[in-house]
Parts: sequence; structure tokens; C-alpha cells
Amino acid sequence: MIGWIRFAITAVLIIAGLLFFISAVAGCWRFDFVMNRMHAAGIGDTAGLFFIVIALMVGSNAPMDILKLALLVVFMWFTSPTSSHMLAQIEYYTNPHLYSHVEREISEEAEDAEC
Amino acid sequence: MKSKFSQFLDGEIDVMSFFPEPAEERDLPRETVKEIRKEENRIIDADPATKKVVAFERRSFRFIYYIVAVISCIVFIGIMLYGVSFLPRYGQENAWATEVSRRYIENGLEETGAINIVSGMILDYRAFDTLGESHVLFTALVLVTILLRRDKKNQQSEVEDYYTVRSDRYFRTYKDVILSKVGSFLVPCILVYGVYVLLNGQLSPGGGFSGGAVMGAAMIIFAASSGFDKVDKFFSVKLSSWVTFAALGFYSFAKGYVFFTGANGIHNGIPKGTPGAILSGGLILPLDVAVGLVVACTMFGFYSLFRRGNIGGSGK
Repeated sequence: MIGWIRFAITAVLIIAGLLFFISAVAGCWRFDFVMNRMHAAGIGDTAGLFFIVIALMVGSNAPMDILKLALLVVFMWFTSPTSSHMLAQIEYYTNPHLYSHVEREISEEAEDAEC
Repeated sequence: MKSKFSQFLDGEIDVMSFFPEPAEERDLPRETVKEIRKEENRIIDADPATKKVVAFERRSFRFIYYIVAVISCIVFIGIMLYGVSFLPRYGQENAWATEVSRRYIENGLEETGAINIVSGMILDYRAFDTLGESHVLFTALVLVTILLRRDKKNQQSEVEDYYTVRSDRYFRTYKDVILSKVGSFLVPCILVYGVYVLLNGQLSPGGGFSGGAVMGAAMIIFAASSGFDKVDKFFSVKLSSWVTFAALGFYSFAKGYVFFTGANGIHNGIPKGTPGAILSGGLILPLDVAVGLVVACTMFGFYSLFRRGNIGGSGK
């Protein structure tokens, strides 16, 4: 009985992670602007990986494997948002037409303050 | 009268002058190229017969191109799968394909002392091959240094160097707090992991090349996140050259000794150790360390030379 409950939890979590990965892949293919694509890729690397790894931890029997999987999540959650942050920063500093991609109206004072 | 070769050595002859100049159309501005294309199309469209022939040629070229691409892909996949079909099944008993692999699997542990058969193969049976690979890396580093090192001979003027340094400061990323904090957390972990992979070469998957690559990646992350000023404090072009030279020299001498004694039937006196212990496998562990140091220095040297034109602090 307990084995079946564990299997069900694992399956549900893996499906949830796969949904995140599918949305990440679709976003990377469908979006044009680099910030949107970066956001989509970041979702796959953080949320998708988190759910898949949690599922594997629930399904695993060896304590050492569970520890290694937890370390995997820790390192990926450090590195993936950092690389997204650096990408966004480079885009912000080097793209002169950045505001043409933003749909929201930006008042001139706010733009002056940011520059 | 000097010969042409010595003139080339002195830099008086440009080798590229012997080759024909590339087509000039590439250097034309884009509008001119477009106009030329338009003119060509107008000439073609003027005559219906020419238009028909050109359209047929373009269509048939595309058709043949796709056909050839698909056929070559299928042929290569077939060759690969044909080669794979000779391999034994996974987990099969008596799983060897040839006499050589049978020898490796049956006698590898007692002859090399390494649990990891792959490590025993590349650093004991075929150590000469690995020595050549390390020298390939070393040669690549030397050539990249010759081409890209920014010293007084390889620099147009002081102004160029000034702009390079200034743009590096302008686009520097290491002022970023998030990046530098994440780097200071990650770099020790990655470095320790690289040392672990390096030292466990005879026990687990890994070894010189992968461990050295991990260590080089850790140094690249450190340079990117904390800046080259910090790297210059412990790493210089002198240190890099000495480490590479000492590692390759040690490798050559150790393997030369083993080959010499082995070919003459003399016992070489290197203890094998207990299989499974960290100090086992005879020469495999020191050779792993030597290869790993060469790989780490090469990787970081590539990054540093491409990024700013020298390896370490003494280069400026």
C-alpha cells in the first residue's frame, strides 16, 4: 500500500515537472524577445528541475542518492537564476531599443530617472 | 640574396600574397550587392526561355541537395549501427568483442591495480597515447599564446591597449554583487569536486581529463565573477608554464622508465597497492594528477588569452 502511494506521488510530481519543461521549451521556441525567452528557460531550470528531483527523491530508497539530488537542486537554484540575471543585465546595458519591446507605457520622468 | 624561406622567417614576405585574392563582391556595400542581384534577375526575367532554364536549375539543385543530404545521413547512421551491432549485449556473460578487450577485462585489475578499467587502459596499457594527447593540449596552448598574447610586438599602439583595458573595465561584470557572491560560494565547491574527480581516477569514473576540466572551469568562473585582479595574485604565466612543463616532464620520465624496464624484463619496483585504496594503481594516480594539471592550465589559459591577451599577472 505504502509503495503504491509513493508511486502515485512520484508520478504526479514527474508530470508536474514535465509540464513546466514543456512550457519552457514552448516559450523558448515561440517568444522573440530575449527577456521572454530567458524567463521561459529559467522556469525549466528551476521549477521543472525541482519537481522532477523531488519526485526522484520520493521514489528513491538510498539515503546517499537523496542527498546528492538535494545538492543538485541547491546548485541549480544558485546558478540558473544567476545566469538569467547576467543575461538580463547585459541586455539592459547593450540594447538601445529596449523600450520598444515593453508594452507598458513609461512616463518620461521615470525613463529619465532610470537613465 | 636570401632565400624565400628565410625572407618569410624575417617577416619580409606575406604568405597570403601567393594566394589569389578573394572575390571583391563580399566587400561591396549591401545596397550595391542587392542592385547587382536585381540586375541579374531582370536579365533572366526578360527572356522566358532563360527564366524557365534558371528556375529548373534552381529547383533541381535544391532537390538534389536534399536527396544527397538525406542519403548521406542514412548511410552514416547505418555505418554506426552496423558497428554497434558487433558489440556484446549489456550485462552479457563473457562480454568481450575482441581478444584485446578480453585481456583488459580479465587481467586488467591485477596488472594495473586499478578498479576503474578505463583508467587502467588509458594510463597504463595505452599511456603513450595519453601522453600524446597531453602534448596536443600543450601545443594548442603554445600556439594560442603565440597568436593572441598581447605584448609589445603584438599591439598596434598604446592606444589600442588603452581601449582594451578601458572597455574591459566598462563591461566588467565582477562589480555585480549577485554574481560575485554566487561565485565565491560556488568556486570552492567546484574546485574541491575537481580535485575529488582527479584523485579518484583509479577508483571511479573520472580521472585526469575530466577532473582537470572541472578545475579549469572553476578557475574560469572565479575569473569571471571576481575579476582578473584576484586571479593575478596566485596565478601567473610563469606558474602556468612551470606547472605544465613539470607535469609533462614527470609524465614522460615516469612512463619512459616503465616502458624501458618493461621492455627489458626488469621489475620496475613501483608498488601496486591494495585495489580499492586511494593509493593504489601504481603510477596511475600521479599520472592522473599530471594530466589534470595540464588540462586545467590549458583551459584557463585559453579563456584568459581570448579575454584579455595574457595569462597571468607578469604578462602586462
